[in-house]
This record gives sequence, C-alpha cells and structure tokens, in this order.
Amino acid sequence: MKGLRTTEQEASEDIFFGQLVIIYARWFVVIAMTILALWTSTTLNQMVIGIVLIVPLIALNFFVHGRYLMEKPANRLLLIMLGILDATVITLIIAFWPGAKGLYSQFYVFYYPIILAFAFVFPGRLSIIYTIFVLLLYSAICVLFSPEFLADMTEVERLSIRLITIAATGMIGVYYYRIQRSRRRRIYAPDLTPAELAEV
Amino acid sequence: MSQTVIDHPEGKEPGEGGLLRRVSLADTWEKEDLAYGQPVIVTVRWIMIVSALILAIWNVDSMADLRLQIIAILLLAVTNFYLQAQLLMKRPLSSSIVYAASAVDIAMISILVLFQGGYSSSIYVFYLPAIAAFAVAFPRGLTLLYTTIVILLYGLICLGTGYDHTDVIVSRLLMIVAVAYCGSLYLQLEHRRRTEAQEREEAFIDNISAARVEPA
Repeated sequence: MKGLRTTEQEASEDIFFGQLVIIYARWFVVIAMTILALWTSTTLNQMVIGIVLIVPLIALNFFVHGRYLMEKPANRLLLIMLGILDATVITLIIAFWPGAKGLYSQFYVFYYPIILAFAFVFPGRLSIIYTIFVLLLYSAICVLFSPEFLADMTEVERLSIRLITIAATGMIGVYYYRIQRSRRRRIYAPDLTPAELAEV
Repeated sequence: MSQTVIDHPEGKEPGEGGLLRRVSLADTWEKEDLAYGQPVIVTVRWIMIVSALILAIWNVDSMADLRLQIIAILLLAVTNFYLQAQLLMKRPLSSSIVYAASAVDIAMISILVLFQGGYSSSIYVFYLPAIAAFAVAFPRGLTLLYTTIVILLYGLICLGTGYDHTDVIVSRLLMIVAVAYCGSLYLQLEHRRRTEAQEREEAFIDNISAARVEPA
C-alpha cells in the first residue's frame, strides 16, 4: 500500500487544492492595496502609480482564479512565478508608494498572508527559500530606502521584530504542511513509521 | 471509534458510507486538528517568548520596566514549558486549557501593544503568527471568535492612539483577517482531501477484501 500514492502525485494535489489559499491571500492584499490607493492618494499622479501597481495583480488573480473555477488550475511553475511577483509588487510598493518609504512604510504587513499561503502549498524546502527571499528583499529595501534607521537601535529593533514574525509565519506554514502531509499518508499507509511518514 | 478508523483503516465497518460517514469523518478531523495543531501553537509561543526576551534586553528603558517584562516573559515560558512537557509525554491537553492559553497570548500581545503606545507599537505583528497558528488548530467558529476579539481589541487600541492613520489601521486589520481566513481555508481543504483519501482507501480495501473471497 506504500506505493499507492507517489510523492509527485501528492505534490500535484497540494498545488491543485492549495492554490485557492494563495488566490484568496492575494485577493485580501489587493483589497487592502486598493483601499490604501483610494484613501491615501492626494494627487492624480499618486493614484495612477497606485493603480499601475495594483491592476496587474488583479488581472493575474482573475486569470488564476478563473482557471481554478474551470478546474484548470495553474501549474507549479506559474504559481512560483506569481509568488515571486507578489513579493516583488509588495516590495515596490514599500519602496515607491508616496509617503513613508523603506522601514517607515507600513505596507510590509502584506507579506504575511502571502508567505503563509505559499508555505501551505509548496514543500518545505521551497517555502523556506521563498521566506528567505522575502526577508532579504525586505531588509535590502529598508537599507536602500531608509538607511538612516541603522544608526537608531530602536529602529533596528523594529526591523528585527518584523523579520522574526515574517519568518515565524513562514515557519508555521512549513510546519503545518508537514503535519498535514503526514496525516494524509497515515491514511494510505498506516504501517509506516513516523520517520518514513516525514520523508519527502 | 473514529480514532481507530484513522489509525487502522482496515478496522472500520464496511458499507457505512454516505453523508453520515462524511459528517462523522469531519467530526474526527476537527478533534484531531486541535491535537495536531498544539505543537504549532506551542512553537509559535516559544518564538514569541525568545523574541520578547531578546527585545526586552536589547532596548532597556528602565530597571523597573525590564523587571516587569522579565517576570511576564518567564511566567509565559513556564506555562509553555508545562504545555510542551505534556506534548512530549504524549498526554493530550484538554481543549479548554489550549483555548485559555491562546486567549492569554492574545491578552499579552494586546497589553504590550497598549503599553508601547498602541498604534505606534511594532509588537502588533505578533498577532499575525499567533492567529495563523490558531486558524490551523481551532474549529472555524473559534477561529472566527478569536479573530473578532483581536480585531476589536487592536482596533480599539489603535483608534484610541492613532486616529489619523485609519488607512494603515484598516490594512493591518485586514491582514489579520487574511491570515485567519487563509489558515482556516487551508484546514477546510485538508479536511476535504483527507475525507476523499479515506473514502478512496476504504473502497480500495473493500475491493481487495471482495477479491479475496473464494468462490463456494
């Protein structure tokens, strides 16, 4: 019974079922971004920049959500590319949105649902790489766009708290993904040991 | 009985399919979720404790403040150690203890946020991993309840201390909801997957059993 389900089949099912979580996480981020774009823009220019950043995300999410509803879900590569795009758009907003930039921008909070959803869908190693990618991206943008914070220990502490909690959110996803996979495998192969169940 | 079904699928009673079977499985998954989710909650709490300890020592304002913070962190650590020890000894905790400990987590984060200036405090980000951990362990109704409490608590704290930044407050609250929703949705999808897997496996075993029956 051990061979009833292969790791590849499991991974495909993870992507098939799990991508809805990523789609909804992106919808939440899009809604929050739209609210902010409409709320905080004081000039036409600001609103245009905001819309230019948000519209591609909306279009892509419509495409992915539509395909999911038609039972033609996105494949692994497309989802990974979209995950990278999500992180990049959020980072661009942190860097270029009118007002506070870098560490002083409040848009870093959009990273959390995106990272959590990604970690729910993809295997641990890939999710860890993605989380590290986001942490590096955010740290780099903070240093590039608000380097003055490095001289203030309170601000460095602020950045540390954000990085720790972003990493913790990714870790929860990875941890829980493993737990769920192990629970499913136990149904198909109750005779396997915990170590075998945990095997990737 | 439900637990036996999951551990040893071959031990289940055949022909018990249909809607009732699915309801029974859903109940089982829900009970199991809390047991499987406990290590996640305990781990998140350890992360919060270690981070709080580092941050408390990093930025000392006064001896009195530090003393108070250390006492609070140590109390939390002792409680979490007890919960961790129970898990290591494979003694499942009662659901009420888990729910109460989680409520204390929310209260602790809210108190810290309040004492650090409310809106301007960066501690609020601890709500996000905490809510994520609750969402994958608790039934949907309880996740909704805890999220609502967090939204109300943090919303009130922020409105009292950062009224001019309603846009940022709304986006923070929306992200808390997003994390809770994603966790809960993932849990529901996993229930569906496990139910389907269980049914497939039962059908497979039934087929094998039928094939083994020798003709008279």
